[in-house]
Amino acid sequence: MPAPTRRQLFFILGLGLGAGMGLSAQASDRDGHLRPPGAIDENDFAGACIRCGQCVQACPVDCLSLSPSSAGLLAGTPFLTPREAPCELCPGLDEPACIAACPTDALRPVDDWKDIAMGTAVVNPDLCLVWQGVICRSCWHACPFPDEAISLGEKGRPGVHAEVCIGCGLCDRACLAEPGAIPIVPASQWIAEPAAPAEATPSTAAPAAATDAATDDEAPR
Amino acid sequence: MRAWRVWTWSHRVTAALFLALLVVGSSPDLAFVRGSTTATSYFSLIPFTDPLAALESVLAGGQLTTDMVLGVGLLLAVTLALGPVFCGWLCPLGLVLDLNQELRRLGQRLLRGKRSPPPATVSGPGLPRGLKFMVLGSLLGVAMVGRLPVFSAVSPIHTITRAAVFGADVALLSVWLLMVVEWFLPRTWCRSLCPLGALYSVIGRRSLLALRIDPHRAGQSRCQRCEVACPMGIAVMTDFTLRSASRVDHPDCNRCGTCLDACPRSVLRLGFGHTDMAHDSLDKTKPPGGVTINGEQSSGEASLQAPARSRAPAP
Repeated sequence: MPAPTRRQLFFILGLGLGAGMGLSAQASDRDGHLRPPGAIDENDFAGACIRCGQCVQACPVDCLSLSPSSAGLLAGTPFLTPREAPCELCPGLDEPACIAACPTDALRPVDDWKDIAMGTAVVNPDLCLVWQGVICRSCWHACPFPDEAISLGEKGRPGVHAEVCIGCGLCDRACLAEPGAIPIVPASQWIAEPAAPAEATPSTAAPAAATDAATDDEAPR
Repeated sequence: MRAWRVWTWSHRVTAALFLALLVVGSSPDLAFVRGSTTATSYFSLIPFTDPLAALESVLAGGQLTTDMVLGVGLLLAVTLALGPVFCGWLCPLGLVLDLNQELRRLGQRLLRGKRSPPPATVSGPGLPRGLKFMVLGSLLGVAMVGRLPVFSAVSPIHTITRAAVFGADVALLSVWLLMVVEWFLPRTWCRSLCPLGALYSVIGRRSLLALRIDPHRAGQSRCQRCEVACPMGIAVMTDFTLRSASRVDHPDCNRCGTCLDACPRSVLRLGFGHTDMAHDSLDKTKPPGGVTINGEQSSGEASLQAPARSRAPAP
């Protein structure tokens, strides 16, 4: 190519302009959506997801939705609203249909259902009926990994084992309390919370921050 | 001018069928199509990936997958062979904006009564064509530094498809806005702003399929109807026909064929190769304009295109 054409100059100018805009975009925080199974780290996910919606169409239980354009740069990305439609671990399938459908690597294959880490359920003792003396084990019954992800402790109080819980939200949907006493904290926010309990003991009283974040996220967008 | 604008309506119907295929094919009963225009899968076998969306995804932290390579490869191969036909024949936004121009013409006719003047395509107001390369550059810049795929997220092309496949959406506002803007600046999105068009124009410029000019008729017809008709505002006659170019190699030509419908004397042809023009209707009393067949076959191509290229508005 000879001397740069006007088109090349425009392109290079735009590249610099975009890089500048990119710096500010990077600083802005990203939303704490509950992403489909196999989703990579939220920051990478927002970049890698090509916003085609194939995962949404592939889901056998229709638990995924596409963010509307009001979500700005996250428009067209998939998310779950577990209280309304949790991930049901694709009954009868060997691997999650959404992961198989994803044309990019935004959703990565998992070896086992238990390797999914969408988020973590967190019991809110203030809302949970068991703490109020009601006999209820709805979440435990709904859990795909009872006694592993959710176990019933003293007085039948449920506790979540964060390292096993995949964040499917089946317990959230099953919860009889209103609002739900066992919301799901998306993986992106769980890691971001410094006070998140890392110990293996069942976390009944989750840090207030994490619970708040989960309740905020509850509102369908 | 042909009674039936065959090319014009062919590319419109094709684009409408393409969109209908995405919507109907992805309905739960059929479900042989999945996805929207950023990435589609036909029969869970043939991938179809928007090259710019894929580029953004990779720059913004994603990895290149087999699906993406195949899906982009398919579109690139088509573009290399046929030119930016995605723009002219498939793009859902292109269809909307194309029909919007019909609306504009109708509106003008109603406002001014009688016959409306030819649409201001050639010398009408407009943003510089090179601007779309700036849009392209800034999208790639944001993807690299900000790690966000802006085009996949907010481009009106993909918003239209997502709205059609996954349900209506407020962002169609941007499409409405664009339609209103294009009443004053005809096809300004496609000509000056669309970053995907910019990418396709570079890839498809030297394609095998192109708008060809009959060397025997070139330079004789000066009606300029092709220029007025061209949705992309290419000066087909001024820059190419009169200069005896053998093909219209303007990068913005998306092979839509609208000029063919406008041409009264079949100077133009959309096809492969330069030979086999239909000469039977040629007026033999007049000398061939511009160039001889020999000149065109030998060194003609390069030397004839040179002036045309330098005159063409450098995008």
